[in-house]
Parts: sequence; C-alpha cells; structure tokens
Amino acid sequence: MVQLLEIGLANVELNLVSDKEKRLKFCINDHMDILIEILQRLDGRSLGSAACVCRLWQHITQSDMLWEHLCFHHVSPRLPSGVRPVVAALGGYRRLYMLCLRPVLSRLGLARQLSGGGGHQEVVRRVWTRHLVELSLSLFCVDYYERLGSGGGGGGRVGDASASSLMFLCKPVNV
Amino acid sequence: MGPYDSSTSSSAISSSPSSSTSSSSSSSSCAGKSPDQIDGLLAGAGYRVRSSELRHVAQRLEHLETVMVNAPSQISHLGNDVVHHNPSDLGTWVDSLLSDLNPPEYSDLRYDDFGPILDPSTITRAWTEHLIPEQQRIIPQHLSVATEMEEDSSIRLVHVLMTCAECVQGGEFSLACSLIDEMQHLLTRVNVGCGIGKVAGYFVDALSRRLFTPQGVALVGSTIENEILYNHFYEASPYLKFAHFTANQAILEGFDGHDCVHVIDFNLMHGLQWPALIQALALRPGGPPVLRLTGIGPPSPDGRDSLREIGVRLTELARSVNVRFAFQGVTASRLEDVKPLMLQVDPKEAVAINSIMQLHRLLVSDPTRTSPINNVLDWIRNLNPKIMTVVEQEVDHNQPEFLARFTEALYYYSTMFDSLETCSAQFEKAFAEMYIQKEICNVVCCEGSVRVERHEPLAKWRARLNGAGFKPLHLGSNSFKQASMLLTLFSAEGYCVEENDGCLTLGWHSRPLIAASAWKAVSEPNPSLGLISHPNNVL
Repeated sequence: MVQLLEIGLANVELNLVSDKEKRLKFCINDHMDILIEILQRLDGRSLGSAACVCRLWQHITQSDMLWEHLCFHHVSPRLPSGVRPVVAALGGYRRLYMLCLRPVLSRLGLARQLSGGGGHQEVVRRVWTRHLVELSLSLFCVDYYERLGSGGGGGGRVGDASASSLMFLCKPVNV
Repeated sequence: MGPYDSSTSSSAISSSPSSSTSSSSSSSSCAGKSPDQIDGLLAGAGYRVRSSELRHVAQRLEHLETVMVNAPSQISHLGNDVVHHNPSDLGTWVDSLLSDLNPPEYSDLRYDDFGPILDPSTITRAWTEHLIPEQQRIIPQHLSVATEMEEDSSIRLVHVLMTCAECVQGGEFSLACSLIDEMQHLLTRVNVGCGIGKVAGYFVDALSRRLFTPQGVALVGSTIENEILYNHFYEASPYLKFAHFTANQAILEGFDGHDCVHVIDFNLMHGLQWPALIQALALRPGGPPVLRLTGIGPPSPDGRDSLREIGVRLTELARSVNVRFAFQGVTASRLEDVKPLMLQVDPKEAVAINSIMQLHRLLVSDPTRTSPINNVLDWIRNLNPKIMTVVEQEVDHNQPEFLARFTEALYYYSTMFDSLETCSAQFEKAFAEMYIQKEICNVVCCEGSVRVERHEPLAKWRARLNGAGFKPLHLGSNSFKQASMLLTLFSAEGYCVEENDGCLTLGWHSRPLIAASAWKAVSEPNPSLGLISHPNNVL
C-alpha cells in the first residue's frame, strides 16, 4: 500500500496535462491537509524518506503529530489523553519512535519470527501492545533522565554523553 | 639391527626425501639422519621439513596455536582469504602466518614444557607424533576449537581451586600457597579471555588476596568508583533493569488509590530506578499522586552532596511530567545507622520500601550484639509500609564454612560471567566484570564485619521475612509480562524469567541468579507508636 501511495504522490506531483482534455494542475504542496493525511498513513521508514523530499516536507514531517499517529494509532484501547504532554516533555514522539519504539518493535518482531509466529504478527502485537507502550515509555523516561544528567555533567559518568542505557536496544540481535 | 642403524643405512643410500624411509622406520629417528635430511614422517603427510628445523617448527606451531586460541578474532581472515604458497614448506608457512599475526612476544613459548633435554631423538619423536594431528587442527577452518590440552587444564584448574579452598579452610597455608603457584601456571595454559579461564583467574586472584594480604582489608573502592561500576553493570546486563522494573511495577500496584505516597530507597546510587516510576505515576488513570522520595546513600568523600544532586535531577524530571514531587536524602554509611526518624514519614501517606540488594548487608552475625537485620526489619514493620520490594541475589553465600561458600560462589559467578559474555560493548563489559570482581573478593577474602556480601537465597529470605511479621504479596502477571518483554529486548537468548510462588527470578539458562519479591507488614501495629522511635524496642 505504501508503494501505491508513493506512486500516487508521484503522479500527482507531475503536472499531467493532457492536451486534449483540460485538467486542473494539481500540486500537492498547495493542499497541506491532503498531504498530511497521506503522510499520516506512512510507516516510519517512508516518513523518513519523505522528510528528504524538500524543505516543506521536512518541516511537516518534523511535526510531532505525525509521529504520534505512527506510534500509537494501532493501540486498541486509546491511550489516555495525559500521555501526550508527558511524551512531549520527555522529548517528543519522533524521538520516542526513533529511540524506543522502532528498535523494540523490530526486536520483538524478529523474536516472534524466530519463534515461528510470522503470520500472526498483527494479532500478537495488539495483545502485547499495552505492555509494549508502557515499557517503551519507561525506557524513554530513563533516557530523558540520563540526558538530564549528562547535560548537567553530574554523576560522574564515564564515556561520552550520548551513551545511555538504551544502547542495548540498538545493538544487533545475537541470534 | 636397531632402528637407528636401518635409517643410517637408508640415509646413506638416498639423499632425497623418500616416503619409504618413513614407512620402514617407526620412529622419526632424526638422530641418525644428517641434519639436512627431510623428515620422513612429515614427508609422508606431504610436508617438507628439515630434520634440523623440526624442533624450531614445532615451537613455532605451538606458538601459533597459543596466539590463535587467545585471539581468535585476529585470525578470522585466515580462514577466508589467505593464499598459501608452497604449503608443503611447513616452516616458512608457519613463520609467515606468525608474522602476519604479529604475535605479542616470542618469549612466551613454554620452554619448561620440554623438560630437560636428555635425548633429542625421544623429544623430537614425541613432538612429531604430536605434531601431525596438531597441524591438522591448526589449519584454519574451525578456529574456536579448544585443544585437548586446554580442556584438561581447565578441568584441572577447577580441581586445584577446590583443593586450595579446602586447604584455606583447614588452615594449611603453605600447601595453599603452592597450589596457588600451580594455578598461576595453569592459567597460562588456558584461555583467560573467556569461559572458565576468566572466572578461575578472578578466583585465583581472590584466594591469593586472602592468603597474602592482611585480614580485613576489603577491596573497597571509593564511592564514586562504586557508582561508576554500578552504572556499567546496569548497562551491560539486564539484572538491575529487571530489578528496577519489577520493583516499580509492584510499587505502582501497591500505590493504587493513594494520593500521597512516599518511597524509601535503601540505596539511591544515581536514582536510575525512579524516572520510570515517576512517568508511570504521571500516566496512571486518575492522575498522579503527590510523590515523596527518600534516598539513602553513603556520604561522598569530596564533600559534594551527591544525594542532593540526584534529587535535583529527579525533581526536574517530575516537574516536566507534572508530578508533584519532593526529595530528601539521608546519608548513612551503613543501613543499620539509619533511624526511622530521619525518614520523616508522615502518618497519612502510603509508604513503599525499596531494597535492591541491600538487606543482605545486614546479615553480619556478631554474637555480641543483636543482628542488625532484626532491628531494621522491626522499624520497617513499624512504618507499616503498603509494600516492601526486596531484590536479592539467588545464592547462598552466607554459610559458615569457607569451602561451601567458595563452591557456591564459583558456580554462581561462572554463570553470571557466562551471561555477561553476550554483552557486545567491550567497555561496559569490562567495567561490569570489575563490579562482579569486587563481590567475589568480598565473598572469598573477607570475614567478620567486613564481609558484607552475605547473599541468601529466596527460600531463606522468605523464612526470615515471614518470621519478622511480613506476608508475601504476589507479583502479578503484569510484572511477569513486562520482565519477559524486557528480556526479549536484550540481545542474548539465554536469559529466562521464572515465577516462583509469587516471586520472579531472572536467570541464565535455567539457573536463577536474582530474585524479586514483594512484602507487606502483617498485623497493623498501634498507629500511635508507629513513628516515634521506641526506646523500649530492645530485643
């Protein structure tokens, strides 16, 4: 579906004017709401690619609302409204996705594939979702706390400031 | 005619390599040949080595083997893209491999293994007989094979360790010292980079400390050093994360419905446990409570108020997520020095006590006075906490006999080092190992009040806490699921979370290493007495 959307976008951008029929010139950049609707449906990787298209798109994709949608739209009991200010305070949905959700989901997806649950991924993911959300938020909070500490230079941390307890998420899975 | 005679006669006939010579004489019989003669046995295997060079080649091969065993990562390329020209020239081949690898020192060849060289023929015969299967093993296809020699040395090392511990227990110090020498020698023959060699190295070190340094000198680092090592242990392995997350989940559930809550942490360190709890409380349905945190920690040597600094960070975090938060730090070098009055507990608030690997330090048994654990458990009970989370190492290091303790420690820390091998960040792993090394030294070297690492297994803690007036709370399925999910995030497949009658244990390959449990005070004490320190609470 993503490819279809991308092709759709591409087609829309090329100003296809048939000499026989008069078509309206349609440029997606004039219709921000449609653009946002489309971007909301992309996955993380495509959203990242979209950010590289042009400055306008980069600006739009940096809006946290898109990433919030990406992070939590599949969570079946809707998250309480209090989540948004907390995530915003801790660094934003984009950072949450990049730092926690994406590695967690890929690690769990891989773990599930290994245990042979490939076809039931969506179903299983929804069952784990609440715990996944809570765990990701907790890890995100720990990361924020460590950034607070390394920024302030306190605590005597050895090593560079970007080292955090979330590094274990970024390490390759030792299969 | 003896074998030497026949080879002498055959060498007189032919001066070129001939496999017939090798088949006719069972011994290499180099003594009888002229030094330039190509060795017969090796020629039969397809290698051309001069008799005079045999010993040299043998040494070089052994050296190559040492290098390969000790640094397999350097030689992985050998398996793929090395082209050997003229491989039958064994000597040059080995030399070129060694020069590729830039071995650290030629001098670590073990000359003493050859023993006194009485009869060159027997020596070289032993070497060439040994050589042929060796060189086949060295051909770089399967580089991680431990040689038989190494396996034997490892097994022997463990046996000698046990014997030495027995000697130490029996007071036979001179024998113990000679055993230590033997173990140091054995350690040069095994791979001390991983596996049993590494663990044995630490234990040999601990035993020699016990024998040679004055009693009572513990490997106590400065507070800052301990904090740094603790942090790296936190990052390198899931044990502390498991402890924190499980305790937080239990505390969160215990605080359900309360609006004023107070958490008392027996060892604050950097406060890494609390951001997750603050965030979870911020998001709990019904809104966050008013949270107070009391952190207990040792005084810092340079006069910095490190507890206050951590408190400032936590306060800032809590403010970002809109949780009303207050922090106070209590400085005490030992947990038994803390008086309940210092904690300033308000009668209206719900109290949670959090002890991550601290209670075992109170088990120092001094016959002249009451065990501090009973005093501490008493005042904890009088605070009437909603929940007390206890996380402890799952092993018995508090037995009176030294040998039993030593054996337990050997198996426990071997498993723990095994699990640490999976950590891919070398930096973190090295520091985490130092952290564990301090524990090992304390268990093995120290006695009396200096030995604080008096771990006890879950069964003993259950008996103790039940007897002190606490009843267990079951850690729910949420904790279990969270712990399982946390583990799948770790890159190693060997960790396992198990549920043990309401408690959770985290282990490596079905050996539990750390156990988390939750408790609640049994009968409510008289509330008016709860917070005033009783002068008459003497046991």
